[in-house]
Amino acid sequence: MVEVNNLNVIFGKAHIVHNVSFTVNEGEVIGLFGISGAGKTTIIRVLTCQIDKKNWNGNVRVTGLSPANKKNHPKILSNIGYVPQLELLNLYFELSPLVNVEVFTSTYGMSKKQARRIAKELFEILDIPKDTWKKRVKHMSGGEKKRLSMAIGLIHNPNVLFLDEPTTGVDASKRYDILSYLKKLNKKLKTTMFIITHDLEAALICDKTAILREGKLLEFETPQKLILSLPSEGLVARFTVENLNEELIDMIKKFEPIRKVLRVGNEVIEILMDDFEQNLPNLIQFLINKGIKIKSMSRDIASFRRFFQIRIQEEEEKEKTLN
Amino acid sequence: MRCKTIGSRRRAKKLRPTTTKKKSIKLRGSLYRIIRQIKKEFKLLWTDKFNLILAIIIPPVVILLFGSMLNAIPPTPQPVPCVVISYDSNTIINPNNYTESRINNYTIPYVNAVNKSELLKLEHFYNASEEIYAMETARMQLISGKIKVIISIPTDFSEFIIWGLPALIDCIPDSSDVQHIQDNLNAVYDSVKIFINENNLTPQFIIQGYEEFAIPEGYSLRFNYNATLLLSFIAFGVSMVLTILVVVQEKPVARLLLTPVKRTEILLSKYFAYMLVLVLQIILLIISTMVCGLYLVGSLLNFFLALYIVGFSGLSMGLFISSISKTKTEANQLFFAFMIVILLLSGIFIPIDAMPIYLQVFAYILPLSHGDPMIKSVVTKGKSVFGFDFYVLLGISFLFLIISFIIFKKRRYEV
Repeated sequence: MVEVNNLNVIFGKAHIVHNVSFTVNEGEVIGLFGISGAGKTTIIRVLTCQIDKKNWNGNVRVTGLSPANKKNHPKILSNIGYVPQLELLNLYFELSPLVNVEVFTSTYGMSKKQARRIAKELFEILDIPKDTWKKRVKHMSGGEKKRLSMAIGLIHNPNVLFLDEPTTGVDASKRYDILSYLKKLNKKLKTTMFIITHDLEAALICDKTAILREGKLLEFETPQKLILSLPSEGLVARFTVENLNEELIDMIKKFEPIRKVLRVGNEVIEILMDDFEQNLPNLIQFLINKGIKIKSMSRDIASFRRFFQIRIQEEEEKEKTLN
Repeated sequence: MRCKTIGSRRRAKKLRPTTTKKKSIKLRGSLYRIIRQIKKEFKLLWTDKFNLILAIIIPPVVILLFGSMLNAIPPTPQPVPCVVISYDSNTIINPNNYTESRINNYTIPYVNAVNKSELLKLEHFYNASEEIYAMETARMQLISGKIKVIISIPTDFSEFIIWGLPALIDCIPDSSDVQHIQDNLNAVYDSVKIFINENNLTPQFIIQGYEEFAIPEGYSLRFNYNATLLLSFIAFGVSMVLTILVVVQEKPVARLLLTPVKRTEILLSKYFAYMLVLVLQIILLIISTMVCGLYLVGSLLNFFLALYIVGFSGLSMGLFISSISKTKTEANQLFFAFMIVILLLSGIFIPIDAMPIYLQVFAYILPLSHGDPMIKSVVTKGKSVFGFDFYVLLGISFLFLIISFIIFKKRRYEV
């Protein structure tokens, strides 16, 4: 559905994206993760025909068509949908949701009747209250606007849907709802989805996750496989330690099988090590011997958040040693 | 111990700020905050330099423009362009003795007096006996605005003077320009004065005024004159103000561009939508002026087209402003700048011909300089709309339309 080979994006002297390659199959949900400036949005801009060919090179195909050829743009744009981060950029606040839908569907040559029928289906899937359908968008809640924005992105049944930070600005309790709506739509419509996000929880609904840092693609795999690639297949020991400080952490790191110590709270650390089951009792003994007071301990499997943290840290350390 | 306590209390009292001191501290705190806020305002202003420059530059530019316009006006009034038609040489049959009269001794001296008058500018002299359509030609010139007064010398003009009878001069001033009717008549009086002095005549002259394009009784002259003046501004202003924010404030355009719709289609649809709104605006404008008692000499269609083309030029300019502006404030500032320049140079305050040449060139490329005289000539003289002014306005509108398209095509949109 989407193929990217050796994509480089250059603006003047700034090399924004470096040799990025990945392939996305039909119906997959892809999460593009990375801290600000990682190049996530730039890649999506190339895929959505927003960046002029003079600024990028590489072999890119979206629904079998290359955005390098301007003649392909209308076809590509017909095949894709886009949900911007800000609803302000996607919705006419002074118009009703149904009229908003009509504005966008008319650009794809859809009739008013057809647009209304699909809109109603989508509004029902996305739980957009019926009483808001004919009211002005400005009177809708933040979450409703977000869902309406998604509906508009999907209104022409695109092959690929790009979502820019779909959970940003949504309160924590509703964030998961948004993600589950997306998964629901993906399953029902078989739409390939690209989710650009800072919200690492989004990995929960992703078939594959791409981790980007400073324009380089570090990983492109299923979140499960990425977690399994961690030492001891991602098993972590979580300790709550009294008076935790950097000195104590350095001391703990001296236990040889340890591969990574992550401080995840004021007094909480997570430890990844080789041969987890075998070494865990030894680690506890080591900590007791060193006089470290353990308040509590538990074992768990690392989350995608931890993997992301570790991977970015590794890259930063690599860069430091190179410099 | 007691003394110590009192001492410490005194010290504490000294340290504690008095009410005045408290007020002064409060005031200083408030002053400090105000100063910081002022600094912030300046920093914010500095982020939008274009706006700041416009705000600072517009007032002196307007004054300079106004000053240079007023200073350029000559102290003596502009001579009134006129034509003289003489019927004096016509053959007359004397009813008493059936003899022919061909007296025209005083025609040329009067034409000389017109030439000598500083208040008149003789554009043409017609001898009606040789040019039978002299009056029709002169009227056409009056309609086109080339002349402001027709002076007609009647058949028995010279005979009356010779016989010592009061002579008659027919004067047909352009009454569509109410403010200048008296100026036109005064100029004709001046020529008569010169004629009397130079020919040693007794001042027995009657200037018979016939007002061309005068409105019939029952209509308000004042309303007719001011309404025509106002109509061009209303048609131009309302369409411009309606469109200055159309492009700049529409945020979802960026998202729309991620659909197969083209930029030209977006802008064209805006044009068509506002052109339809303009039809409604103009119809309502016409109805309201007619209800208020406008006396329309020209046809309703010509009137509509005249107002529509003026409105269309405003619409094009408004969309142009909207296309080049980055923010709403910038669009508003530019609207103000455009409007004030267009108003000043439209010929309302100072006739364009009286302006310095460099301003005249500038004035003639502005829409209202053509819109106002065009509407006036349709309303008061019944002239057809399809004249030079109409085509210039059409040209200006299309020029701004093309520029807007180019700018809009290059405008950066990102989602």
